[in-house]
Amino acid sequence: MAVIEIKDLHFSYTAEEEVIKGMNFTIDARSTAIIGQNGAGKTTFAKLLKGLLKPTKGEILLNGTSTKDMTVAMLAKQVGMVFQNPNDQIFKYQVLDEVLFGPLQIGMAKENARRKAEQALEAVGLTGLETTNPYDLGLSARKLVAVASILAMDTEVILFDEPTIAQDYAGKERLKEIVRQLRNQGKTVITITHDMNFVADAFERTIVFAGGKMIADDDTKSVFLQKDVLEKAYLEQPDVMKLCTELGWRESVLSIDEFVSAIQK
Amino acid sequence: MKTISLYVDKGTMLNKIAPESKIWYVIAAITIPALMGTRWAGIVLIAVSAALLLYGKVLKRTLPLLAVSGFVLLTVLIIQGMFWWGNETPLFALGPAVFYREGVNYALGILINIINILMSFCVLILTTKPSDMMENFVRRGFSPRFGYVFISVFQIIPQMTETMSTITDAQRSRGMETEGSLAVRIKAFIPLIAPVIMSSLINTKERALALEVRGFNSRKKKTFLNDEVKTAGDRYIQIALPVLIIAAAVWRVTQWLA
Repeated sequence: MAVIEIKDLHFSYTAEEEVIKGMNFTIDARSTAIIGQNGAGKTTFAKLLKGLLKPTKGEILLNGTSTKDMTVAMLAKQVGMVFQNPNDQIFKYQVLDEVLFGPLQIGMAKENARRKAEQALEAVGLTGLETTNPYDLGLSARKLVAVASILAMDTEVILFDEPTIAQDYAGKERLKEIVRQLRNQGKTVITITHDMNFVADAFERTIVFAGGKMIADDDTKSVFLQKDVLEKAYLEQPDVMKLCTELGWRESVLSIDEFVSAIQK
Repeated sequence: MKTISLYVDKGTMLNKIAPESKIWYVIAAITIPALMGTRWAGIVLIAVSAALLLYGKVLKRTLPLLAVSGFVLLTVLIIQGMFWWGNETPLFALGPAVFYREGVNYALGILINIINILMSFCVLILTTKPSDMMENFVRRGFSPRFGYVFISVFQIIPQMTETMSTITDAQRSRGMETEGSLAVRIKAFIPLIAPVIMSSLINTKERALALEVRGFNSRKKKTFLNDEVKTAGDRYIQIALPVLIIAAAVWRVTQWLA
């Protein structure tokens, strides 16, 4: 289990404006969602965690080592990041080759890499499409190829940047299952997303960013019950919670399953 | 997103003048010295352009453009000064390099022409909004396709730069080195360039469809959001400048006949 400590983290792209304005928290074993409106600093934080950007002040410690002291290539063995747009990374003519690219880049043994790639393709439901050209697949499936290409790297930490964009119902359900599986395997799973239903269904902990600061950090249900925080971050409750509020329930629930159980009681 | 357009709205009269008037100015600034065949015409026009740029509050922005061209101009001066075919009279020497009066003189002519062309174009591009200029062209009967291609360049290049940066991040995230020796860079070439090409092709297809569904190829006469603004000054400029060009041509012919 990776330990990620964020200590007095600051970052700015230009001298005039800070994008990350002093954050302190620790990412623990729980699957964690980072939410906030556009420009809140979520993607910048992900890039800092991945080592693509270096903090202007403060640091991120990954298992005790500062990301400032590690190159992106070194971090690639420990932190995997699924980018928002799969077209930004796909360049191989076959799905399997694309998924194998990352594992081979980080020096995984050929046989092991192949096994991991096949497992990753199975996890995202693309088994049987190994020889297909990724660009012959729809955007939703292509996004799953990008997910598989990171899963196959078998990193301790996996970051998902807006994973549910362009996903249909089946794709979203599969992603939720992947998050649960990774969590059960002891991996640190972090997502940046605007999809509150996905957060409610698949993540144990939620951190809210607003204006470059962390304004809430708690278990997902507690965060979604803080209406003032959601308002400040221009966010809304998941649909099921909104339904509970509309029905005037005192107790709120996070998922459809919980809602059904509550009705049946 | 950064834009590659050099246009700056300083709210001066130069920003309000119709693009055609400024295009006429560029044509005049290039053709008059060429027709007259005298250096002073070029120098006068450089001074006029400088005055216009100063009035338009954009003279400072011209300097980096001239500085970029400075290297080329210096090269011209060195090559012509040392090696022009008609070189006879040594002017000065820098160590073993001898510069000749004839070559330096010839190079000065070229420099004046280049600076004149650059500065007159600066008057146009620093004070004219590209979309306004294209709208005017299309209004005059130019193909909207040409207009679209011209305008889209201003967006597509910065967009591609941004895409390239994201692609580099995505591949580095998967452990690929993009910096280092030549071999490392060659190895990184395909993983970096292939997604750029594929993304561009996909974007092009989507842009084409988005244009098509909004009636880009409609044969009906198009309407324009902005009214055409043509001041009295524009009318005078668009008459005076062609007259000056003709006058320069006539002067040259009379000189030739005399």
